[in-house]
Amino acid sequence: MNLILKLLFLAVSLTPALTLLTWGDGTLAWPLFGGFELLFELGPLSAFFLLLLALGTPLVALPMARGTPDRAAYGLFALLLLGMQMLLLAGDFLGLFIGWEVMTWSSYLLLIRSTRTTLEGAQTYILFNLASAFLLLAGMLVFYSLTGDFRIAPLTEASAAGRWAVFILLGLAFLIKVGALPLHRWIPLGYDQAPDLFSAVLAGLISKMGLYGLLLLPTLFPDALAGLSGRLLNGPAAGYGLAWIGAITAVVATFKAISQQDIKRLLAYSSIAQLGYVVTAIGVGSSLAVGGAIFQTLVHTLVKLLLFITFAGIVLQTGQRRFNDLGHLIDRMPMAFFAVLIGIIGLAGMPPLPGFAAKYLMFVGLIDARWLLLLAAMMLSSTAAFIYCYRLIYGPFLGHANSPEARTATEAPWSYLVPQVVLMGLLVLLGIFPGFAIEVIVDPVLMTLGLTPIGAPSWGELATPYGGYDGVVLMTVFGGAFVIVTALFWLARGQMRRAGSPYDLSFAGEVPTADTPLHYGAGMGRELRRIPLIGWILAHTTAGVQAGLTRQTLAAAGLLGGLYRRDPQTWTLLAVLVLVVASTLLALNGGWF
Amino acid sequence: MHVLLDSLAMIALCYVMGFLFQGFYRQFNARLQRRWGPSIWQNLYDNMKFLLKSETLIHGPMFFFGPMIIAAGAITTLLFVPFLKDSDWLQGVSTHGNLILIIYLLVVGPLGNALAVGSSGNPFGVMGVTRGLTRLMGLEVPFFLGLALVMLQHETTSVHAIMAAQDGIAHWNLITNPIAFAVILLPFIASQNASPFDVVGAPVEVYAGPRVEFGGRLLGVLMTQNMMMTIAKLVLVVDLFLGGASNVLELIAKAFALFLLTTAISAAFPRLKTEQTVDFFWKVPLGLAVLGVVLNVWLI
Repeated sequence: MNLILKLLFLAVSLTPALTLLTWGDGTLAWPLFGGFELLFELGPLSAFFLLLLALGTPLVALPMARGTPDRAAYGLFALLLLGMQMLLLAGDFLGLFIGWEVMTWSSYLLLIRSTRTTLEGAQTYILFNLASAFLLLAGMLVFYSLTGDFRIAPLTEASAAGRWAVFILLGLAFLIKVGALPLHRWIPLGYDQAPDLFSAVLAGLISKMGLYGLLLLPTLFPDALAGLSGRLLNGPAAGYGLAWIGAITAVVATFKAISQQDIKRLLAYSSIAQLGYVVTAIGVGSSLAVGGAIFQTLVHTLVKLLLFITFAGIVLQTGQRRFNDLGHLIDRMPMAFFAVLIGIIGLAGMPPLPGFAAKYLMFVGLIDARWLLLLAAMMLSSTAAFIYCYRLIYGPFLGHANSPEARTATEAPWSYLVPQVVLMGLLVLLGIFPGFAIEVIVDPVLMTLGLTPIGAPSWGELATPYGGYDGVVLMTVFGGAFVIVTALFWLARGQMRRAGSPYDLSFAGEVPTADTPLHYGAGMGRELRRIPLIGWILAHTTAGVQAGLTRQTLAAAGLLGGLYRRDPQTWTLLAVLVLVVASTLLALNGGWF
Repeated sequence: MHVLLDSLAMIALCYVMGFLFQGFYRQFNARLQRRWGPSIWQNLYDNMKFLLKSETLIHGPMFFFGPMIIAAGAITTLLFVPFLKDSDWLQGVSTHGNLILIIYLLVVGPLGNALAVGSSGNPFGVMGVTRGLTRLMGLEVPFFLGLALVMLQHETTSVHAIMAAQDGIAHWNLITNPIAFAVILLPFIASQNASPFDVVGAPVEVYAGPRVEFGGRLLGVLMTQNMMMTIAKLVLVVDLFLGGASNVLELIAKAFALFLLTTAISAAFPRLKTEQTVDFFWKVPLGLAVLGVVLNVWLI
């Protein structure tokens, strides 16, 4: 019975792949009341996001199917898949909204199944996500009042005010889902408290639905947002604000990530930062930048699935989730070490993995738009990301083991390792063949959005008008150099001896013992607070800023209330006096009208 | 075959220039401080001594692979930098790369080595790595923005194209885009790990830094890659701002002139703490870069 249930669950997780392969060009219309109908179709933009689902869901479902079946979780997961597929396939806002709601509620119910969920975490999650859903509802109603139709189609006829209303309402709805500052508060709480494997779904797949929404905006407002309010430098003026929202999100979230003590919270903040780049690139709106955004979406999905699944395995094996409580797992969990290594190389956007190709396209897009200050902000965030990436690998895997569990841990079960290997393989292949990703995955989406495809001369090459690079050559040179250097080192004279004990260190003339605190994982990044800008950012929290705003509002209200004295005669007299003075002045000026 | 020979020639040239330049640096510093200083060949002797040590202590496999990664990173980086213009030789694989790729490749090796430092288990080493990453975060923003001004000026990221556009001294980017050069100069010194931004390596007095656990032949590999990397970065700036070079002698002369300039600056200023470094980079060079952006992009 259990086996059948598990097989059924795994079969359900393959449905996005089945939908993607079998849908074809057809449309499915389902008539509702009063002439309305639900319309489903599969365009290239939906197909791209469906591809992410098709890749991600079986890989998460495999470790989820381990052990005693959690029937409620399986059912909710199936519902979640239904909701996400529905919102991607929807050809009108009605289907999109219904899918969005199904996704919100089923993910909420999955989230609160964790034993770690607090009331605050659960409430924040549902309140922010409902706010997003209601903004979407408001946006689609305004859209309907402008066009008389729910179909997702370019909004060219409407007045400027109407178009801005739709832009802002829908933009806010999707920015909440993406977690742009200051609307991100539900993400660190939610990703941290969710069941470990479900965090992978939250970061890898559900957050992408917000990006799907943001990429619908260029469909609604053609000519890359420029139709909305003209151009600034060499890009759309309406996107400039969006781009800065993304850049500030990326910078602040990166510094917040550095200061976290908990692995999953760090990954949550890094997720916010990475999606911040995508928001910036969507704001630029040119073919290069949007190509970079789509590429980054793909890479971020793979990387976050890989990292969250790997760390879920580590939490499963050790029960520890803080940097101080782990350490030196490299010998005990080598596979997890390689998975995290590949993951952070992708996360940091280092060549030769595909994170670099995505960054390259976005950087070139920003240079092309002449938005260099945004480029500087992106660069700051992506260099600062090296620090938390190093921490992600140093804290758990290097240094010294800091808890009894970390000293005795063993490699995670095979159902965790298989997804890790698959994802690592995909990342390396995409790194060698960036041209393949451009040609097959990115270009069809660009064409639907009405942008020029980037194109690739060969699968190994990434080519732009500003120059490009060859992934095959890069990987060959680096791998060749590594092999040759290592071989020469081995062939040369001399021998190597392993240190007798882990405490055999040059330690300022002293001999450390097992009691000496040697693991630097917890303190790493603390000294950054001495840099004025970072200290300032880390000293403020969004919750604090919002509480401050509340206080200021109350104080202003109090000031206003001071005008109203306790006895009514005084302020009635005041009102009469104001009225008299005003009407006298008006009369002197020549009457009321 | 041509590529292989060419690559070997580039690596050899980098190595020879590397130990001579650094030997000169030690002489130069010594004379400024009224010492005799070591011979100009001293860095070659030191390097050979390390590489020929008979015994090396390691702390596990990752500790061994770190220096290999950093050496492979250095070789990859220098092969992506074109050394000469209008020539078939000393090109490596530079036609397959671009400037942004080179900037990222510069840090691949050090990050690989950081894994080895972490796996040694020495907290002082990791402290050095954190300082290094912090400094990188500080320097990279103005450095990249300065280079972005050059990329914008020529509307390309290809080093070849930028080099080809600078025919004649009047078209050097040093002349046509002096703000960009002023912006990148100090971050460039920091990226060379030179004084006054050298607290990471802590050459003499502070007992911490990424190299604290390395000895013997592994230290030799680290020293070798450092010398080659120094030259690769110098050549990159020569390509971008001094019009590149048509032959090896011109290349050495230009790289040496630039090296002399950075060395003179290094010798004149006392060392900054890490957070002072970052704060300085975000105020002075970045401020200048923002000014450059306003002048180049918003006003024109």
